Parts: sequence; structure tokens; C-alpha cells
Amino acid sequence: MLQKINLAVAFVLLTLPFGSRPSASAQDRTKQNNQVKTLETGTFHGKVHQTSGRATVYQEPDGKLVLRLTNFKTSNGPDVHVILIAAKDADDDANFLKTDTARVELGKIKGNEGDQNYEIPAGTDLSKYQTVSIYCERFNANFGTAPLEKF
Amino acid sequence: MNGTVSSWVLSNKWVLAGIAVPVLVAAWWAFRPEKLWVNVKVNEPAPFGSSADLQPVYTGVLAGRAHPTSGRASIYQTADGKRDLRLTNFTTSNGPDVHLVLAQSSDNSLRQDFVKGPLDDVELGLLKANQGDQNYELPGSTDLSKYDAVVIYCERFHAVFGTAKLDRF
Repeated sequence: MLQKINLAVAFVLLTLPFGSRPSASAQDRTKQNNQVKTLETGTFHGKVHQTSGRATVYQEPDGKLVLRLTNFKTSNGPDVHVILIAAKDADDDANFLKTDTARVELGKIKGNEGDQNYEIPAGTDLSKYQTVSIYCERFNANFGTAPLEKF
Repeated sequence: MNGTVSSWVLSNKWVLAGIAVPVLVAAWWAFRPEKLWVNVKVNEPAPFGSSADLQPVYTGVLAGRAHPTSGRASIYQTADGKRDLRLTNFTTSNGPDVHLVLAQSSDNSLRQDFVKGPLDDVELGLLKANQGDQNYELPGSTDLSKYDAVVIYCERFHAVFGTAKLDRF
């Protein structure tokens, strides 16, 4: 009997430190999970086709990544896409992308002015694709670039 | 000579038109020149309601000058209009009499690592620490469209440790 009580006490003592903590961290996690997080941001520059505004990457509670353009303005053109490129930045003068630059397609541009959102495909490695490019696919022309930096 | 060219053009005008029209159509399709005058404006809401982390009004990345400096400077505004400057992922070198100030990014005296003469700035206070996240209250009247550069500034030696150009978020 005494042995049983000892065992029970030992068990309670052992589990005590774990008992209170998981609930607290679980709470923290749900609090974080309900929030959209700002991951990265950067501003556009572009010389040949005047491009300005801000690009920001948000992470939704379910892990989905969204690129949002704000105060955005570029020139209108044919077959313009929003892409992420595996480069630190593109110079103002880099009017054309190198053909071997790795890229992730986010879709056709919704408008050449105004706030807009683009879904980033799941599994996109943001540490590799560090720069947003407004890209005319037909002519391989880079209208504007926004290098992203940690927010 | 001229006569033979024009008579050749005239006698072959249907052939030439047959070539020119498709070429013009193809060129129009490729370049869509009318888009130069046509804007497409969108206004999508943010992909979240009020459940996002606090969004700044201005932000910029710090770059080192006289001393290696990195991190982000952002301006936050509370509902009652109070504004704070917040440094995140911040690191600079330690030094004597280092201040955090706002200056004008167009100011020529900021071009060099050391400022010659007085600097037109808004004082935000002594730098609290050379590393880590920290907040500084902005004087109520600060015009951020004018004072758009954050400067880590050693007043004793007029040394610019690092700067960040603030852009609208």
C-alpha cells in the first residue's frame, strides 16, 4: 500500500512540471495561429517602365503565403505577369531577365495600378526566391523589381 | 527610276497590302500600343481582417555607414495618433554618445560617413542599446514626409553609424 502511494506521489511529482506548460504553449500557439504574419517587404524600382510601390509577403494562419502589392503603379503592357525570381535584386538597367534565372509564376497582373493580392504556391522557398519582378513574358522584359527583406 | 518604283508598287498593291495588313496586326497584337494610355486599376482588400500583426505606416532597412549596421526601422501609429519608431533585428556597433535621430534623406551632409557642420534633425533620444528590438516615441509635430531618414548618429564625433530611408508601407 505504502509502495503504491509512493509510486503515485512520484508519478504526480514527475508529471507536475509538464502539466502546466503544454497548456500555456498551446495557448500561445493558437494565438499566433489566428494571426496573419508579415514575413517580408520591399519597394519596387524600375527605370525603363516606371514602377513604384511596395510588395509584402504575408503568411495566413493556415500557412498559406500571399504577396500583396500596395501603392503600386507600373506601365500597362501585353502579357505582364507577377513572378518571384531567384536573385538578390535586378538592376534598374536590367531591362531583361537572364533566361536561366529561376522563377515562380504568381499569375497575370490584375491591374497596373492599385492594391492587389497574389497567392504564392505552397512550398515556395522564400530564402531562394528573394525578389518580386513585374515581368512581360512576351518580350522577357523586366518592368520593375522589388527585393524582399525580412520584416 | 522613281516612275518604275511607283508603277511597280501600283501594279503589286494587292500583294503588298496582303503582306502589310498581317504584319501590322501582328505588331499590334505583340506590342498592344493602346495600353500606353489605358490603365487597369484594382483595389483588393488586404488578405486579412483585423487579425494581422500591427502594420506600420513607414518602414525601411538600415544600412551601415561608418560602422556596420543592420535591421529594420518602422513607424507605428496608435489610434490616438501617437507615433513610435521601432527597431527590429537591429544591430550596430557600440559607441559613445550615440543618438537615434530623424533627418532628411536628401540632406547632402548625410552623404558622407561624417557630418560636417550642424545636421538638421529631429532628436529621438540616446540609443537604448546597440542590439535588439526597441521603441522610441516621436515628437507629435514631426513631419515624416520631410524627415524621412532614420540615422544612428554619434554626436560626439558627428559619425553616421547607419541610415534607413523610410518608405510608405
